[in-house]
Amino acid sequence: MAKHTLSTRKLFLRLLTVPALLLAAGIMLQPALAQQKKLIAIVVPSPENPFFKALADAAEAKAKSLGYETLVLVHNDDPVKQDQLFDTAIARKAAAIILDNAGADASIAAVTKAKTAGIPSFLVDREINATGVAMAQLVSNNYQGATLGAEEFVRLMGEEGDYVELIGKETDTNAGIRSKGYNDTLSQYPKLKKVAAQSANWNQAEAFQKTQTIIQQFPNIKGLISGNDTMALGAYAALKAAGKGNVIVVGFDGSPDVAESIKAGEIRATVLQPVVRLSELAVEQADQYLKTGKTGSEEKQTIDCVLVNPDNVKGYAAFSVKE
Amino acid sequence: MHIPAAAPVSAPVKPSGLSLGVLLFRLRALIALCVLTGIFSVLSPSFFTQQNLIILVGQTAINAIMAVGMTFVILTGGIDLSVGSTVGLAAMASGLLINRGLPLPPLGVIVYFNVPVIITLSLALGLLVGAFNGLLITRFNVAPFIATLGTLYVARGTAQLSNNGATFPNLVGTRELGNTGFPILGAGSVLGIPIVIWIMVLFAAVAAFVAGKTPFGRQVYAVGGNERAAELSGIYVTRIKMTVYMICGLCAAMTGLITASQLVAAHPGVGESYELNAIAAVVLGGTSLAGGRGTIWGTIIGALVIGVLTNGLVLLGVQEFWKKVITGLVIILAVVLDQLQERLQQRLALRRA
Repeated sequence: MAKHTLSTRKLFLRLLTVPALLLAAGIMLQPALAQQKKLIAIVVPSPENPFFKALADAAEAKAKSLGYETLVLVHNDDPVKQDQLFDTAIARKAAAIILDNAGADASIAAVTKAKTAGIPSFLVDREINATGVAMAQLVSNNYQGATLGAEEFVRLMGEEGDYVELIGKETDTNAGIRSKGYNDTLSQYPKLKKVAAQSANWNQAEAFQKTQTIIQQFPNIKGLISGNDTMALGAYAALKAAGKGNVIVVGFDGSPDVAESIKAGEIRATVLQPVVRLSELAVEQADQYLKTGKTGSEEKQTIDCVLVNPDNVKGYAAFSVKE
Repeated sequence: MHIPAAAPVSAPVKPSGLSLGVLLFRLRALIALCVLTGIFSVLSPSFFTQQNLIILVGQTAINAIMAVGMTFVILTGGIDLSVGSTVGLAAMASGLLINRGLPLPPLGVIVYFNVPVIITLSLALGLLVGAFNGLLITRFNVAPFIATLGTLYVARGTAQLSNNGATFPNLVGTRELGNTGFPILGAGSVLGIPIVIWIMVLFAAVAAFVAGKTPFGRQVYAVGGNERAAELSGIYVTRIKMTVYMICGLCAAMTGLITASQLVAAHPGVGESYELNAIAAVVLGGTSLAGGRGTIWGTIIGALVIGVLTNGLVLLGVQEFWKKVITGLVIILAVVLDQLQERLQQRLALRRA
């Protein structure tokens, strides 16, 4: 009996050496493997929003096609989490970081940390309030986009009537820029009257409830302009449920759901942020920088938005539209 | 569990010799509701109209239904932080079943259900989440706060996984598949009153009956009042706790279905931080977080107070940041009053003794 246990133990030990050897080989081989493929870390706010998902997917696809390994990390708009993710990227010896950041001021430290560790960051979609830290900052021109959306709204409204504005999260820079773009354009038409402006925090359910309440006070509104598509969808659901499906709703972002809604003749227009293009450009510039030591472009770059309406919605595909 | 001597242990509170002060305190949520309604009616002409009141109650219903379930949990001295995620999970389940059906790989078919079955299945999912919470708390002795915090993440993650983070849009169903009609739940009305409000009334009435008039209800109060004593007197504490979390999950799933139906879309992020609204409604309604004291109708009034605040502040066009400050202050005031009531009652009890 004792002999038997002994032999089992020996067998067990012998068996154990196999994975141990493999592990050792793995550890020794790891740097060699890592050298073969460089890593690009892609840090984004949340994959739940189709916009950020499209952004991450596009960056990942582009990086893979250029022969990089990718690592997608999510910070959920939490600068502390973002900082930890940067530590991860540094520890993994990433060659470059593509970042949609968690706050214009709160992100500077993390980007600086990566720079000190020798890792260049390429920012997309949102800027930081510092220059010379990131290699590139590529953003869509939110102001130009808002002006574009507002002009279409004016046209649809026939330059007159009462309307409501739904604003994004008021702590978010883009919410302010878009609202300013809308108001700079709309205030030029004296017969267009803004009867209410409310924040719905970029949120669909909140936009639904707020619109429901606002139309109690202003049952005769002719239009509603929204700071993003998620809120536009919530607002339109409330309007439709109240039998006001003919109210003119214009959104911002160019999300697939709103494209569907435009096809169905419900929401009238949205402004497409060329997020796929932004992402691809960032990866291309990262690639160029890693190969030549230069990005070949200015640090701050803005890319114009495109209007999506029934005329061109047929050419729409996940945050890009064919002319 | 330590319970102060003066705290009532049995359910329907039958105060002996009600003084005016105590009465006013007890009705504080109702008084707050009347005061707020008065203020908003004066400040905004479109507040006290039949149509706005219907909408207001409809908006409240979403929170109230969740809060009804939460009341049972809090009455036992527990807490359920996972309700917001359960809202999202149930919404996504209904979206999945309507737009994609239920794939059964072994048989190689996709089953599409009609809307009543979809609603039942989504509600059952809520029960399941509740059962999971109950199991963790009763069998594995995990503190309710931690167990349901864990479930908060698990359920939210599952909701996001169900469509890889994307929304299930346009939940109108297809006539060929026989699954049309889902939007009626959120947008339809019976006798001029939205179905959502009927659902709230139904949930509240059944819950109030169960809590106040049935042996189960009394046992819930007993467990919350003094768990050890309840156990010694022969109450199956485990079974009671299991049931309250399941009720809570069911109520949350109902809220999820309503939200998905109203938006005619299921978004995986829906219901985020709803658990806090539900807890606020319960506390505003006078239910003690220590358990053993509170009523369902109090919770409904608490939810209405929050609803009136939200609706009224929107009508007045108050800035978002101020809305938060005001809502927070109202909740704090309610809890402070709650403590004052407790002290007042203790003093009265001492004087009588």
